Parts: sequence; C-alpha cells; structure tokens
Amino acid sequence: MPDQTSSPTALLRVEGLRKSYGDFVTLQNISFTAKQGELICIVGPSGAGKTTLLKCIAGLLAPSGGIIELDGEPVTAPPKKMAVVFQEYGRSLMPWMTVRRNVELPLLRTTPKAERRQLVDKVLDAVGLSAAADKYPWQLSGGMQQRVAIARAVAYSPEVLIMDEPFAAVDAQTRADLEDLVRYIWTKFGVTVIFVTHDIDESVYLGQRVIVLSMPPTVVQEDLTIDLPAERDQLTTRALPRFTELRTHVYAQIQRAKRDNERRPDHEAPAA
Amino acid sequence: MSAPAVTRRLLPTSASRRLPRWLDGLLEAIGLPLVLLALWALSALVAPNRRFPAPWTIAEAFVKTWVGDAFFVDVAPSVSRLLIGLALAAVIGIALGLLVGSVRWLRQLVEPVFEFFRAVPPPMLVPLLALTLGIGDTAKIVVIIAGTVWPVLLNTVEGVRSVDEVQRETATSYQLSTLQRVRFIILPSAAPQIMAGIRQSLSIGIILMVISEMTNASSGLGYRITFFQQNFQIPEMWSGIILLGIIGIALAVLFQLAERFVLGWYRGLKETERA
Repeated sequence: MPDQTSSPTALLRVEGLRKSYGDFVTLQNISFTAKQGELICIVGPSGAGKTTLLKCIAGLLAPSGGIIELDGEPVTAPPKKMAVVFQEYGRSLMPWMTVRRNVELPLLRTTPKAERRQLVDKVLDAVGLSAAADKYPWQLSGGMQQRVAIARAVAYSPEVLIMDEPFAAVDAQTRADLEDLVRYIWTKFGVTVIFVTHDIDESVYLGQRVIVLSMPPTVVQEDLTIDLPAERDQLTTRALPRFTELRTHVYAQIQRAKRDNERRPDHEAPAA
Repeated sequence: MSAPAVTRRLLPTSASRRLPRWLDGLLEAIGLPLVLLALWALSALVAPNRRFPAPWTIAEAFVKTWVGDAFFVDVAPSVSRLLIGLALAAVIGIALGLLVGSVRWLRQLVEPVFEFFRAVPPPMLVPLLALTLGIGDTAKIVVIIAGTVWPVLLNTVEGVRSVDEVQRETATSYQLSTLQRVRFIILPSAAPQIMAGIRQSLSIGIILMVISEMTNASSGLGYRITFFQQNFQIPEMWSGIILLGIIGIALAVLFQLAERFVLGWYRGLKETERA
C-alpha cells in the first residue's frame, strides 16, 4: 500500500515511459511527476507524440515500457480518478443526450439521483452553462460544447484532469475565456490538471510548470517552473516582462527541438 | 441563384395562398390521389370494364367484405401476425447485430453466411416451413421474420461498427459498464441505421404476410384475396388490394411517428450541420 502521507508529493509519476509502433519510436523516455493540485502544461512541436503520451497516462493506450503510477498504483486501464477532455468536443459529447444527460452520464452508476442532480447543477453553473442544461450539444457553439465536456469531467470528481489540446478548434476570443475557465476550475475544485497544448503562450499563461517535449523519439527536453504570480489575467499577465521571457525561452526550446531533429542523421519527416 | 427567387415572387400562388399550414399539407398529401380517383371514376363511366369496377362498386364491396366479422376473421389475425413478426425480427436483428457488430472475428465469420441467407427469397421457405412447423400461426410468423430480419440485422451491424472512436474512448475513460455502453452509446449511435433497416423491413413484411397466407391457410388477407380472385369476385378482390395499401400506409405513418420520437436528435443535428 502506498504511504498516504506521501501522496501530496507525487500524485502522478511517469518514469522511463516508452512507446513505439513497430520500428518507429514515438516516446523514447518520458519522466516527470505531478504533485497533488498542480497545473502542468505539456507543450511540444506538432508530431512530438503529445496525444500518445496523454493516452498512455489516461490508460487508453498500453505503453511499450516504463512506469505510470497514479497514487502509487500502476495505470493499466483508465483509472477511476482520472477524467479526460478530448480535443474533438463534437465527437466526445453524445448528440442524442441533452447537456444535463451528457454531464451526468459518468455518474449514473456511482451517484444517487438527487445528489447527481445537485452536482450537475453545480458544475454547469461553474462553467456558466446553467441556462443550456436542457439543450442538445449541437445547439451550442464550439466553445460552449467544450465547456460541457469540461463540466462532465469535473462532475466525475477526478483527482487528475487530463486535457488534450482542448481549445485547438475554437476561435481566439473563446479560447482566452476557456483558458481562464480552466484556471478557475483548477482553483475551485482543487484538481490536478495535465494540460497538453501546442500553443506556447497558452502553456506559459496556464501552467505552474511547463514540460517541453522534443521531437520523436521524444524525451522531456525541459521541465520549467513558471514563476508568474498565481493570480493570472489575460491582459496583465501576458503583459509582464517575465511572461515574455518565459515564452521566448519555451519558444527557443521548441525551435531547438526541431533543429536537433533535422540534424539527426536518420532524420525523416515526423508522422502526424 | 437569383432566378428562383424572382420566379417565386412572380408566381401569384405564394402571395395569395393564405391556407393554414395543416390544410396545405393535407392537400399536398391527398391532392394526387384525389385526381387519380377522379380519372378512375371517369373511365369507369365512359368505358365500363368488369375487371376494373368503378370506385363506388369497390367501396360498396369494401364495406360489405371487411367491415364486421371479416375484420376479426381475416384482417386482425393477418395484421397481428405481421406486427408480431416485425417486432420479433427487430428484436432478433438488433440483438444479433449488436453482437456481430461488436465482435470482429464473429463478423468476419458470419458475414458471408448472412449474405447467402439474405439472398434466399423467403417465399421459397413457405412450403418447407409448412412441412416442419405445420400450417398454423408459427410457420407464417417465421416466414415474415425470415424476410424482415436481414435489413435490421445488417444495418445494425453497420451502425454498431461506425460508432465514433472518440465516443468509445469517452465511454472507456469514464468506465461505463458494458450495459451502459450499449444503452447510452452504441444503441443511440446506431439508431439512425437501425431505423432505416426497420423501414425496409415494413414493406417486405407486408409482402410476406400476404404470401404466407396464399397457401395452407383458411383465413387471412392473403387467403381471402386469393379466394375472391379464384371465384371471380372482382370488386371484393380489389377491395382487399386496397385494404393492403391502407395497411401499408398506416404502418408507414406509425413508423414515422416512432422515428420522430427516437431520432428527434438526429434530425436536429443534421439540420444544424446543413445550416
């Protein structure tokens, strides 16, 4: 049994994670830990295997080697205390269910009806969708649909919330709102967040830490602490000189990752 | 594309038409049938023909033949066999389709066999089933099932196969039970295709209902119509054919109502995608 007192130090532990498809090594060696309540952004050039890494962590894909532990337990199937928000909100919500039904779907087995209703009301309120509870997802805008997906994940009360480029398909305005929503949800529900993105600014704005991935065979190129004030704001935070420094640093890291990849003798175009 | 707009504005109908919507729809639905009926009546007056009696002769025969006891002797048993057959075909087709659609090796194993069975015309089973199951209701219901199960089954398999990958992963990551997956993800997702299969089955079902009663039967619509034909009771025969048409329409309307209920979300989704 894992020592309960040690869990705040490492809720999620990834060590020497490796994933290959035949001869093609996507993930070479990924190691990092996430503490309880942290907000970590994983950023990398496109083709770095971000989604692969995330699916391994979520138990949706079996790694070829290495260790993934949640609360000291190895992850071999989707763990109970983990929720995933997918990039394709239009495909992860069920179009035959109203917003309310979609959010309560994962709770049907675990939570009694009255309690379920209360919980769903609470999370819909938190994402600002109380008025849309009885609508169908396809009656909502893309940003609102992703809010539903976030509400569903939060209602599941996970310890770890995993988000796979959740805002890649929405417009910039909506994206800023949703970024603030993630920060709000993270603070309000005290959940640990692993947020995967290819957007450097987004990773620096959101994260307490940013993990930069290289090109395949992918390793952790840098594990960077974001020492920006905890209170973040789209206008003031992004205008801080430190923000610019950090984003420039991450940008340089990613450029280096691409350059190193091109210099490698066995260089070939990365698979998407 | 400005031409249609101009034409529409020039046409007096759209401006002058002030009929309520339901009446408009009703006229659209029965307009052509009314015209055809009028033409038929006219031809019966101008050139009477014993094989094609006038509408009123048939109407008279209709009331005399089908209203009253005959309804319970011939119509009700036929229609109930049809409904039982269709319902069982739907249940069997959906259940088997769920299984076959979910299990890859099973699908590869049975698909060629399905194609073979589907290609066998079910009317050929009538004598065989009469030999093995006798001449009662069971044999007739089995004939209906044998013909109507295939569209439901094959469409369900396709529907189950095409459930979205992200929806499957969502179900996995939220740890839905197998039963929940079937009920909340797979069945609703496959519902549009399943309903399309059932719609195909309706018309096949009516055909088989009649055919199953043409031999080895002493009651039922198929039996009665054949009987009238063999005894040269022409208006009665025609009234039976018309009754079959009416049953077909009633079935289609009922099905449409059910579909509107089951697939309301799907229509909304498609309309949103088109907009």
